[in-house]
Parts: sequence; structure tokens; C-alpha cells
Amino acid sequence: MGKIRVLMAKPGYDSHFRGAVVVATTLRNAGMEVIYLGGQQPSEVANTALQEDVDVIGISTLSSTYMEYLTELTSLLKNKGIAEKLLVVGGVVIPDDVPKLKEMGVDGYFPPGSDLVSIVDYIRNGVK
Amino acid sequence: MKSNKSNIVKRKERKEVFTTSSGIPVKRVYTPEDIADLQYDRDLGSPGEEPYVRGIYPTMYRGRLWTIRQFSGLNSAEDTNKRYKYMYQQGITGFSIAFDNATLAGLDPDDEGAEFEIGTGGVNVFSMKDMEEMFDGLPIEKVSTAVIPIMWSTCQTTGMYFAMAEKRGIDLKKLDGTTEGDPLSTASCITNPTASVPFRHAFRLCVDLAEWSAINVPKWHAISFTSYNYREAGVNAYQEIAGLMAAAIAVIEEELHRDRGLGVDDFVPQFTFHLSSHSDFFEEIAKMRAARRMWCKIMTERYNAKDPHSKMLRFHIQTAGSSLTYQQPLNNAIRVAYQILAASLSGAQSMHACSYDEALCIPTEESALLSIRTQQIAQHEINVTNVADPLGGSYFVESLTNEVEKKAWEYLEEIDKHGGFVEAVESGWFRAEVEKAEMKREDEVRSGERDVVGVNCFKMTEEPYKVSFFRRDPQLVEKQRAKLQKLKEERDDREVEKALEELRQVTESGENVMPAVMKALKVYTTIGEISKVWKSIFGPIVPSGLAITM
Repeated sequence: MGKIRVLMAKPGYDSHFRGAVVVATTLRNAGMEVIYLGGQQPSEVANTALQEDVDVIGISTLSSTYMEYLTELTSLLKNKGIAEKLLVVGGVVIPDDVPKLKEMGVDGYFPPGSDLVSIVDYIRNGVK
Repeated sequence: MKSNKSNIVKRKERKEVFTTSSGIPVKRVYTPEDIADLQYDRDLGSPGEEPYVRGIYPTMYRGRLWTIRQFSGLNSAEDTNKRYKYMYQQGITGFSIAFDNATLAGLDPDDEGAEFEIGTGGVNVFSMKDMEEMFDGLPIEKVSTAVIPIMWSTCQTTGMYFAMAEKRGIDLKKLDGTTEGDPLSTASCITNPTASVPFRHAFRLCVDLAEWSAINVPKWHAISFTSYNYREAGVNAYQEIAGLMAAAIAVIEEELHRDRGLGVDDFVPQFTFHLSSHSDFFEEIAKMRAARRMWCKIMTERYNAKDPHSKMLRFHIQTAGSSLTYQQPLNNAIRVAYQILAASLSGAQSMHACSYDEALCIPTEESALLSIRTQQIAQHEINVTNVADPLGGSYFVESLTNEVEKKAWEYLEEIDKHGGFVEAVESGWFRAEVEKAEMKREDEVRSGERDVVGVNCFKMTEEPYKVSFFRRDPQLVEKQRAKLQKLKEERDDREVEKALEELRQVTESGENVMPAVMKALKVYTTIGEISKVWKSIFGPIVPSGLAITM
């Protein structure tokens, strides 16, 4: 099996990049191939995920509209037939909303302060 | 020095090496030997005297308490107006506008890509009408306002505030306030591939505002150099103030290079600064004191400034959002209080105390109130305001101030070697430095070298505090779109088109854009319409990618 391919993006115009950079760098150091998109709309993320045939889509959100953004993203992924890709969200999600992410089709959620090793392990185990 | 040869059993120390947050080694105890070279008049001076280490005013807080300036904005202009009124009643002494990402990016509510940005992180503002509503009934002639845009929305948002003030009959010559307007602050640590105006052009726009304001709104601080953003993104204390100096130097050089008849003493006295007050208590105090000395030296030695105001580093601090934790959020209130204390011992002119819920959302009314009360307790109960620079002369604090300053000069040289701050930002070098620093911090937290309570130590499996969180008005997007529609029906479109055409001409010619921006805003041209003109001239920003070190 080749390298695990990860697409990493943030919602739109949000400028809190620190978490995304740290996680992207960590995944690369763990031997994965990371495609970093920066701030993007859901359609860009879905299109790139399809074109690049990634294994994992990572969304780092510090933007309060994460529910709306992820609703659109997950529906686009379904429409494109790539809903089975591992979708991992990191960043700020209000605790009450965390169970709703799962219903929406988000596989894993890592709040700020998560152990980086646990993110690497989660992805390795999640990608078959 | 004689050591104390008592019978106390010598205890092994907890660690081999103790350091500050930026890695400066710290000794067990400091003595007169550590500051043997210190000459009071040359190196410190009394408060209000050069080199201003001890503060820029002789009386400091005995004369005037620092401004309680809470950065705030939520949902629409109407909702923000309610919050501002509440905070004003509770005793804030300065306003500070937090815009949402749509406004910061120069988007109207119906622009492509605006949907997920409206109401994120602040208030949605797209025309002067919003500014009128936001400050309705608030005494802006007495209480100053800080406008906090990022570079590509600087002229529009500040212009809206000016136009609103004029409409209310306030003489712009008397209008007091600040625009963050530091083009290098966000560009140095944010790479936003979708932003509308490339950096060089945004830089020009910010300097246009500073130049125009220096003449037309003389009490306005059109640039507040903001090291807060890159500090938040990862750099350490001495890198922070080196960046701050480098950014100010870059803007001075740009204005002198333009040769439009302004000398440093014509525009530098308007400069203000915006620093972080982070969690390493003494290092932060040393940093703020060192920054004052550096600035005075730069203005004296490099620029031969004559006006003392050109040499005084006036600054606002914001407590460090990045030090706040998602876990056990009420703990954040304590972190904030210590950071406010550090800043009050350092002689800051103005402060924002973050709220305990800010690692999760825009502050609720309840958490916003606690931030105001945190500052008021520091101002009114604990007597830290009675003495100027109360830590001056401390062996440790003076020694650390020297050390932080030394490191900052070295780092400033490093920035100079990379062509100065504009070059260093454009080439991506500084961004890579930020990334390196943030990875280092993460490694320290992971290895346990750096403790974060509730995150890598004293963890709990269940959240112990019951905290309520702010949520965006679910109808906000529709409401703002309807408001935009109504605005377009009510205004005179011919006036708007004329104003936009004029803006296009002056932008292309290289003249100062502000007169045209003001004209456009007064006829209710929107932020999106102005941004589109600039986008059509400057072109889209070239994505430099984020992952420079990757």
C-alpha cells in the first residue's frame, strides 16, 4: 500500500491557521502525503478530493458556521459518490454539536488540544 | 554577594534548566551583579522620559487609567449596538469593532462565498448604514473607537466610520480613534488564497489611509502596528517585538520613499501598537518594557525624530486568545486575569481582556461582562495603578528586559537580512518562521515540557463547568441580504456608479484613494462594490500556499 493521501482545508475566509498547519505538518512527518488547500468553499474541497483521489479529508474549523459548511460538504461528497472517504474534523465545535457531526457523516472529531499522535493513529486505523 | 549559609537543607531543583517561554534561561535568583552595567538615566529614565522603558507618561495610571477597550461584534449592526450599549453601561471606556469574515474579506452578503462567512467572528457590515446603526446613541465624540479590519478592508471600514461621524456633525479634526491598518500583521501569518487584494496593493491602501488621515483626521491613529496576530500564530516574545519594529520601519520607509512632503514627525506620532499579553508573566512584562526602549532608539538613532511623540510606544494589549483552552473553559478567566495584571504592571495604554468562552465562540453577554469586571478589579481594587513601573529596578525584571531586548535586536537584524519585513513576508520567510515556532510549541506541549492545565495535565474526562455558548442568529444571512436589497433600492445608483468610476481612476493613477473612497461610501456604495473595483485592477491574490515549510 502506498502513502496515505490526505486533503487538508479550512472553511472559506477564516484566518485561524495554526491548528491546520500543525496537523498537516504532523501528518506529513508521519509519512503521509498532504495536499494543503488553505481556506476553501465546500465545492472546491469536494472537487479536489475527487480529482486527487485522496483517502482522507481533513477540515480544520475555527469558524462558527461549521454546521452549515459541513452539511454542504457532506452532501457534495455524497453526490460525487465519495462519501466513503474518511472525513475528519478538527478545531472548535461546541460540545452539544459533536454528536450531530456523526449523524452528518463526519467520521472523527478532534477538539483543540488533542494529542497529535492520536490523530495520526486514528487516520492509520481508519484508512484500510 | 554573600550567600546565605543557613542550615536549610538544599533541595534538588524540579528541573535541570528553567527558561522563559521563549527559551531564555532563568537563574534561581537575581542580584545587583545582574544589572551592574545598568545606568539609570541612559537605560531606564523616569516614567515620561527617554528611553521610556518605565512608561511614556510621568504620572501613568495616577493620571489616567488604561482604556478598557473590548473588541466586540456579533450578528448585525443592530445586535452589536445593543451589546455596545450594554458594555458602555457596564463601564468600558473604548469601543473596538470585531467584523465578521465577510466584511474583512470585502464581500457583500450576496457575493459568492459570503454565505458561510456572515457573522463568523464578528459583526456583518457592508455599508455606512451599518456603521450608523452600530453607533446609534453612543457618545463617539467622548469615547474613542478602534476599527479592526485586515488589510484589504482597511480603507472601506475606516472610511465608513469617518463618514458616519461626519454625518453626525462631528468634526473629523476632533475625531479620536484607531485603525489597526497594519498591512504586515495579517499578511505575515495568514495566507488566504481567496482574499481579494494582493499584498503589495493592500500595503499601498493602508499607507494611503495613514497619509490621508494624518492631514484630515489628525487625532486618528490610522495604523496600529499589530504584533498580536503573529504572536497568536506562534512566534515568541522577542520575535513578536522584533516583527513589530520591522513592520513600523517598513511603513516609515514607504512613506518617506513616496516623498510627499511628510517627515517622520508629521506622521509617526500617530502610530500606535497592539501587542499580546501572553502567559509567561515576567517575560511579557520584560517584553513590553523592552519594546518601548527599542522604539525610542529606532526613532532617535535611525530616523533622528525630534517630536517626543514619535519616540513613545503607545500600545494596546489583548490577552492571548491562543493561551485559552477548549477544555475546562472557566479556567480561561484566570489566565486572562494574570495577563491583564502583567499588562498593568507594564504600563499599557489600553486593554482587551478575552472572555473565558473565546476558545469556543463569540463571547456571550455574561462572559463579556466578566472581562470588563476583570479589568475593573485590576484598576480599582488591587492598587497596581498607584505607582508607575512598579517593577522597575527589580534585578530579575531589568535583567530579563535587557535579555529580551538583545534577542529582539538580533531577530530584527535577521529580518533585515531577509530584505526587511515586506520582503520577508512576501518571500514567505517570516511565515515559515511562524510555522516553525508553532510546531515547536506543539512539541513542547506534547512532550510535557510545557504544561497546559486541563490539556496535558490535570485533565478530566467530563467537562466540569456548565457554560452556555453564543450562537449566530440563524436568520442572519437572509436578514443581511434583505438589508442589502433595501439599501440598493433606496440609494441613488447613478451617484454610486460615478463614485466607483472615480475610484477606479485614482486607483489606477496611483493617487491616494481615500478621497474617492469617502465619496463613494457617503452615497452608500458597499464594501463589496469597492473591493470589486480593486480586484479588477489588482487581480486576484496569488495563492502562495500555506505550507511553506512542508
